[in-house]
Amino acid sequence: MVHALREICRVLIQSGTLIDLRPIAGSWAVEVVSARDRKHAGEVTDLPQGLADDEAANLAMAQAARDGLLAREREEIFPFCYYWDSPGDMRQYVEEEWSDFIRIEEAVWNNVRSIWAVANADARVRIQLNMLITRWSKLQ
Amino acid sequence: MTADKDPEKNELSHLKRYADIAGKRVLEIGCGDGRLTWRYARSARWVAGIDLERDDLRVASIERPSDLEGLVSFAQANSIRMPFRNDAFDMAILAWSF
Repeated sequence: MVHALREICRVLIQSGTLIDLRPIAGSWAVEVVSARDRKHAGEVTDLPQGLADDEAANLAMAQAARDGLLAREREEIFPFCYYWDSPGDMRQYVEEEWSDFIRIEEAVWNNVRSIWAVANADARVRIQLNMLITRWSKLQ
Repeated sequence: MTADKDPEKNELSHLKRYADIAGKRVLEIGCGDGRLTWRYARSARWVAGIDLERDDLRVASIERPSDLEGLVSFAQANSIRMPFRNDAFDMAILAWSF
């Protein structure tokens, strides 16, 4: 990853901007939402791979800063939600796309299904990711 | 199975607050199928998107809005060895790629 950051700095102008935009692990909330209501069903379980990826990315950025390549200017965490029409759709997506990074325990699935079953007709299910955005400036 | 991603547009609003894209030459690393690219590209001078996934890049090329022809280009490339000259970009976006 440090090699990639060096390559990015090569193609950036002096004082150019690098935006690092990525989801970070942290017990993402699982919810059932409708126009009138929002109910919390539980949290996802972070798996070691996702935590390791975050750690590796953070270490690479910190190394780039120590090497004098980049300077951190500003940082924030904000919510980014994925929505599905039903718990079944959500389960299929999570198992197909995210199984290396997160798991949803049976108790949470049962909770989602129970809440969704009695929710308003427009209710959807969602997972709220934590997104990290950081602005860096190229130094050399 | 598809998901409806960020209908609140939180990602775009934060990107706009953190990056003054207007008139900039932008490199997007990890552009995927162009989901994020289409949301900001109109204000850029031009955008180059790279990704390792050929299928995603094919989708991006097919779904590129007609008014972005000539403004946005895509390439299959690795971020450790990119096919661009030195100082080619004012801004780079690491889009979900670390």
